[in-house]
Amino acid sequence: MKKVILFAALAVTVMSSCFKSDTQTENSSQSDTGIIKKITVPFSTSGKYKLFRLVDSSYVLNSDSATSSWDFGMRRATLIFNSASSGPGQGAVILENATFASVTRAPYDGYAFDTTASQKAIKDYSWYTYNPQTRGFDPIAGKTFVIKTGEGRHYAKVQFIKAEYEPFVGPMPVNIIYTFRYYYQADGSVNFF
Amino acid sequence: MRKIIFILFLFSIQFGWSQTDSSSNKKLLEEIVVTSNRTATKKWDAAIPIGIVSKKYIQLTGSLKLQDILQEQTGITIVNSTLSTSLSGYPNPFGQGIQMEGLDPAYTAVLVDGEPLIGRNAGILKLGRIATGNISQIEIAKGPTSCLYGSEALAGVINIITEKPTAEELNLQLYAAGNSTFSQTISYSNLIHKTSVQAFVNRYSTEGYDLDPSIYGKTIDPYTDWNACLKINAALSKKTDLLFSLKNYYSKQTNDYQIYWQNNPTIVNGYTTETDKTLFVQLKHQLSTKSTIQIRTYFDNYNNTSFVNLKNTDYTFDETSFDQTIIKPEIQLEHEGSFHKYILGGGTNFETIDASRYAGKKAVQTTYAFSQNEWYLFQKKLVLNAGIRIDKRTDFDANLSPRISTAFKPNNHIKLMASAGYGFKAPDFRHMYLSFNNSQIGYALIGNNILAEQLESMQQNGVLDPSININPYLQLPTLLPEKSFGTSITATYRSKKIQIELSVFRNDIDNLIDVYILPFTKMNNGQIYSYHNVNKIFTQGINAEIKVDLFKNISLFAGYQYLEAKDKSVLDLIRNHKKIKLDPITFRESLVSENDYIGLPNRSAHTFTSKILWQNNKYHFDAFLRISYRGPYGYKDINGDDIIDDNRELASGYTNINFSARKQFSNQLSVQIGVDNAGNYTNPVEMPNIAGRIYFINFNYSINQLFNKSQKNQL
Repeated sequence: MKKVILFAALAVTVMSSCFKSDTQTENSSQSDTGIIKKITVPFSTSGKYKLFRLVDSSYVLNSDSATSSWDFGMRRATLIFNSASSGPGQGAVILENATFASVTRAPYDGYAFDTTASQKAIKDYSWYTYNPQTRGFDPIAGKTFVIKTGEGRHYAKVQFIKAEYEPFVGPMPVNIIYTFRYYYQADGSVNFF
Repeated sequence: MRKIIFILFLFSIQFGWSQTDSSSNKKLLEEIVVTSNRTATKKWDAAIPIGIVSKKYIQLTGSLKLQDILQEQTGITIVNSTLSTSLSGYPNPFGQGIQMEGLDPAYTAVLVDGEPLIGRNAGILKLGRIATGNISQIEIAKGPTSCLYGSEALAGVINIITEKPTAEELNLQLYAAGNSTFSQTISYSNLIHKTSVQAFVNRYSTEGYDLDPSIYGKTIDPYTDWNACLKINAALSKKTDLLFSLKNYYSKQTNDYQIYWQNNPTIVNGYTTETDKTLFVQLKHQLSTKSTIQIRTYFDNYNNTSFVNLKNTDYTFDETSFDQTIIKPEIQLEHEGSFHKYILGGGTNFETIDASRYAGKKAVQTTYAFSQNEWYLFQKKLVLNAGIRIDKRTDFDANLSPRISTAFKPNNHIKLMASAGYGFKAPDFRHMYLSFNNSQIGYALIGNNILAEQLESMQQNGVLDPSININPYLQLPTLLPEKSFGTSITATYRSKKIQIELSVFRNDIDNLIDVYILPFTKMNNGQIYSYHNVNKIFTQGINAEIKVDLFKNISLFAGYQYLEAKDKSVLDLIRNHKKIKLDPITFRESLVSENDYIGLPNRSAHTFTSKILWQNNKYHFDAFLRISYRGPYGYKDINGDDIIDDNRELASGYTNINFSARKQFSNQLSVQIGVDNAGNYTNPVEMPNIAGRIYFINFNYSINQLFNKSQKNQL
């Protein structure tokens, strides 16, 4: 129980610091630092994916999963993108081994799709490590996703910063809260500046 | 023979860890060690440094726990298994082990009278299995020692030498401590004609302790340990000795903790039962005045069975079993000339294991031979030692472990030593045959040797998607032994009042076995893990020890270790500017520099130990204060680079203070009181093995016909 409280306290302090940096990023170059967001996704490996849309940084209802209105979905630490086996959209992704700021342009080709349910564009463990000591899914620094949106006309870059368990009672966490940053290029170009 | 044993025994009590004023009138102490070359050798003549913990030291501390005694020794840290801290507060399944020269507990061989302890769980041996009451000496050899002891002696060897029966003596010990801890020991030894007999029985029970009352269940559950030992040494003739030794360990620990059963908190109860039975028979025959032959067989069976039932029901929630047996016939020849000592030996180790987490009963055998020569040149001023051992286990190629070492002693006070050798550790059963499915998280951990068949059966049974290409995993190379190359240089100075030892060491380890993740998942999205040889690391450091006898009856001791342990592949990534970190507060990304990289987790750069012993001969009183400090050590990554490179990723250091005081009331009776962990340091998450402050009292009663006088001198 102590641990859970500690965890919650930590989460609160981290969250408050997030909000601070949130306001700071408004002033500095947004393409370098991105917009900081949080997404709460289920810990389950079999339930529904939490779907997310970057243009207005909002959740998309699972009833709309068969539309191109979402860009990526998440469940525990598994990512899906809106195309091929995962959705009707034209989404795609490239995982770059580069810092967020250094990705200044979306590549023209080389995008990956979720070919089948067990062969996804982004392989589990390719962008995070699992720490058996803390049971944490820790995003690896220097991994930046370049995402083609579900409607296929815009590009964005996304980086996961941290993953925390929502305070839970019982043997299993229920939700993971991911903190990530993104930059969405609204003008439809491939440039992230 | 009897006389020699008698004299040896006197040595061990008179010239133990701390010189008393009575012995300092005499010549410099000459301790005898056996670990350096598998035969009794004066420590001053040995070509490698051997640390000694004497019986007297153990008695002075009053400690019944080997772990506590070892962690006060320079360069030894008791560490938690990296997998042992559980998020939900479940009991720690693996326990603690010895970290030596910066290497994990799996890489230190623990021997009892030269024979290996078995029953490692995730690489860790439970040191509580060894009773301290009949130990005559603990010898610590740091650095690769595989040239004599084979697998596991990669970081070094801890050899626990039990007492040899010498004369009629009856010892009773009663011990009581906090947490309702009680221990009773009875030991009896006698010489009947030319046969010496020693019987030893110890019972140790504790109620355990709870460091975090907010979590149901104790941190350490109550347990009772029994240790029994019978040793018979018969002189069959003037030239032939027969040694027979039987040991039995039995332990029963309560399991009582909370689980979630159908999503409801539920209490489970059960027991963990552990047994360890060993039999050792050795025939030693004098072939000539210079040569002896020893034929011996060692048998050891270790069993661990554990279960928990849902409280007040017969429904078994969890059940595990582990059974390991070794039979090890061995032969050893020794030839001692005026200028050299030669040892040649060999044997076979038959090993079987049957565990609930392994797929079926498994057996391997290792045939080995070792040869070593020690030359004594220029009136023993120069000692040269060269040895080699070959180990051939059924499932991998023959492995050679050579070592050369030398000692130079310009006079009776200074000794310089240098050593270079190879160590290895054979892949253990868990790396080869583990078949573990975690039903809660859904992952599978599968040993390398059975991965192919398990993947095939998973695919046939629809656990794996049929479209997944498993071919690359069907013809995997077998695991190779993990290998190390270690070098060390040591300088020693000794006089009647001062002893100083300074050493520098470096170990390079290749082929370290690590877990990897297969690039596809099960249908339930569960990950599949297996083992491969991948990592290259190095450890290096400095050890310094000083012991000073002040005035007539005060001894001071200080020891320090500086340690660096790093992963070479991480260093390569850093040098190629490929290691990036992300600050968890500022979210700023930057490259990790070589200076940032602190090293492997769970290693402290600085460890320090100091001791003060005061002995009053007039009033037969002694007092012993020991302080050990372990500096901060890497605990968990917080900045996304999966390495320890930020001070915020360190767990803080801690200090352990132990004190004991003893008064001898007569030749027969002594009473000792003490406090362990006087500073009351606890850390339920990172160091659950450390109980809070514990007071103890210890009564010793001995009837001793032969040693009345020496007993008195001892104090």
